[in-house]
Amino acid sequence: MYAALLSNRYLTSRVIPLIAVGAVALCVALVIIVVSVMSGFLDMLKASGRTLIGDVIVSGGVGGIPHYDEWLADLRALPEVEEATPVIDTLGLLRMPYPSGPSKEIAPVQVWAIEPASFARVTAYGDKVWWRPPANEAARDAMLHDDPRLLMDDSMLRDGLTLKQGATGKPGIVLGMHVSVGNARQSDGSYRPRFGWFMPGEEVTLTVVPVSETGKISEPRDATFPIVNEVFSGVYDVDKSRVFISLDQAQHLLRLDAAPLYDTTAEPDAEGNLPLLGTTPARVTKVLIRAKPGVPALAARDAVEASWDAFVAKASRRTDRLGRPPERVSILTWEQQLRDLIGPVEKEREMMRILFSIIYIVCAGLILSIFWSIVIEKTRDIGILRSVGASRLGILWIFLRYGLAIGVVGSLAGVGIAWVVVDNINLIHEAIGRDAPRAAWITTCAMSGMSVLMAVRALVWRGRLLPGLLWTIAAVTLGIVTLALVGHRGTLIWDPSVYYFSRIPSQVDWFNAAITVAGGIVFSVIGAAIPAAKAADVDPVEALRYG
Amino acid sequence: MAEVAPILAARDVHRTYRFGQVEVPVLRGASISIAPGEWVAILGQSGSGKSTLMHLLGGLDRPDPGRGTIDFDGRAVNLGAGRSLDRYRNRDVGFVFQFYHLLPELSVLENACLPGLVGGWFGGARANAARRRAAELLDQAGLSHRLRHRPAELSGGERQRVAIARALVNGPRVLLADEPTGNLDATTGASILDLIAAQHAQGLTVAMVTHDTSVAARAQRVVRLRDGQVVED
Ligand SMILES: Nc1ncnc2c1ncn2[C@@H]1O[C@H](COP(=O)(O)OP(=O)(O)O)[C@@H](O)[C@H]1O
Ligand SMILES: [Mg+2]
Repeated sequence: MYAALLSNRYLTSRVIPLIAVGAVALCVALVIIVVSVMSGFLDMLKASGRTLIGDVIVSGGVGGIPHYDEWLADLRALPEVEEATPVIDTLGLLRMPYPSGPSKEIAPVQVWAIEPASFARVTAYGDKVWWRPPANEAARDAMLHDDPRLLMDDSMLRDGLTLKQGATGKPGIVLGMHVSVGNARQSDGSYRPRFGWFMPGEEVTLTVVPVSETGKISEPRDATFPIVNEVFSGVYDVDKSRVFISLDQAQHLLRLDAAPLYDTTAEPDAEGNLPLLGTTPARVTKVLIRAKPGVPALAARDAVEASWDAFVAKASRRTDRLGRPPERVSILTWEQQLRDLIGPVEKEREMMRILFSIIYIVCAGLILSIFWSIVIEKTRDIGILRSVGASRLGILWIFLRYGLAIGVVGSLAGVGIAWVVVDNINLIHEAIGRDAPRAAWITTCAMSGMSVLMAVRALVWRGRLLPGLLWTIAAVTLGIVTLALVGHRGTLIWDPSVYYFSRIPSQVDWFNAAITVAGGIVFSVIGAAIPAAKAADVDPVEALRYG
Repeated sequence: MAEVAPILAARDVHRTYRFGQVEVPVLRGASISIAPGEWVAILGQSGSGKSTLMHLLGGLDRPDPGRGTIDFDGRAVNLGAGRSLDRYRNRDVGFVFQFYHLLPELSVLENACLPGLVGGWFGGARANAARRRAAELLDQAGLSHRLRHRPAELSGGERQRVAIARALVNGPRVLLADEPTGNLDATTGASILDLIAAQHAQGLTVAMVTHDTSVAARAQRVVRLRDGQVVED
């Protein structure tokens, strides 16, 4: 009761503890801003990473998964599974349509051969095909006037979604947004063709190398495809190297299609044909699965694994060559699959958190030293309180409560600051990206001049050093700010045409904010506890002996 | 007097201060009995150990271990845990110092009701009662127009009146005053003694330390502290 009265009075009757409040607020704000932005990036990375892989990813070996359509039927029947789609992934070389002249650029690519319809139901492929007309008026208004998408009609999108050039009926190819260097990223995150290299409509030649189930490489094979669209996933590594063709094309190129099997050891017959032994089944190398809404990826993964084991058991009776699926395949959730992508960013975030959390110790030290001098100054008052019956715990509580108040007020102020900054981080960033408005530096210049006058008044007129010094510091600081503003040329720190995300995440990570606030309060109380214990140990007789 | 059971008594107390190797025995078997309703003055030269004895009587300090007891109302107060001493200081006795010792951040009223706020964690009835009683005591001390002032805005005499109100706010049975007029001029000192006398007239037991015989004359009984022992005048 008296502890509340006194700690409130101590808090409101002096200025120095406000510095501690400010320090705590800044620490908390800094940590929340950094962690929020990094968490935001992590979420964006995860969201982008998962857009083209579904919830569960099954990868077979080079030999592939035979009779996959039977397994797909099994999978689709599972209550955990919404949809499953077959994929072949392989490496390839893409002969680009540029530069002009006979020698063209060759880009190494990662080829994903897909069944476009079911692939779009498992992944967000359908939303990520880039070249398409705006979906509605609002989207149209949001685009810059020179965005080529404003002039497009639905045929471009349809070709991208079917992997077929509608006009010619030719099987097409869809490139990741950055496979071609012709796409220049703009500051709003959209794209313009560079050097007139607009890819859709151009033809490219894809070279792939079939690999036998024993790992033997055959003669490379190539095919020419018209580019029908491009796709933007949001993960640079994917957009830089991924191309999509249709599954049947790849099966044919890679000799993974169903084929008659001849006995190559026998003599050819009169027409030169080898005796037919049977057929090899068509194969794929991956199966992507989308879980039913509400089913966690891990649960879906386990169901898929059980289904795989059943499939393998069922297939063990097969006698056709290459008809038996591999015993072991890798079955991962999207998060496990993206480990390499997410892991380093998560580690960076933890590093940041730890580094920035060190400043808490500085805060605790600041509170400790401020409180220590208050306890020394207040030794007599502590003696008085003891003499009227206050217990040692009561004295301890005065200062702990005082520290707690600083921690709580400072941390909440810090959350407020962080919230305002994070919420407006794109605005702030844009403001930094422009030259400083003239009004800003004229204002600071005027304020600096006024501070000079105030300093002169304090020093010369009234002969007071402290206010004179404070005004001088204010004048110098404002002068430097003025110079900085005048000299400031718009620099985009976060250039969306260089960095991959077009906006800085502006969501406060409230869970982390809560942890940070708790940390701020705990360290404030720890900082206060040491002087508080000293206060509790004050001997009242010693403290009261002299006036 | 001796037949009445004392409200407060020191029995053969020793108190020795230590400076490194050197031991300075200040009290050497001091005994004093204070009867209920009595006003005792303890006279002694500066440095004779008057304050030391008062601190022992007021539960601010303890005698040398095993060498003497302080009895309040027939119970030894200095044997229990620190908590019981805290309670003793808070409820059973009131202390007035030579240098007033008010808290500068608190108003006159807040200073006066401070002991009433100690011991309870929450506001409520006890704090309200303390506030009412403090206001009443300050009124009796002629300070009702000063309730919201800070101690720094008061004269020495006024501050000592606030200190007396604070000492009495929890209704203690004994008032311990250590040179309450030592810092005041004669007239102001006399008015402080009048205030104490008024409380004494209402039944308060008073033990007062002074080195001034004219101040001691206001008491009913005067004892002297000499060579670490209490001798009757
Ligand atoms: N805490 C202490 N440590 C050491 N010496 C002390 C302490 N308190 C008092 N003394 C010494 O004890 C003696 C008595 O002091 P005190 O009781 O204050 O005397 P008085 O109040 O009669 O002037 C003095 O010599 C003083 O210096
Ligand atoms: Mg003294």
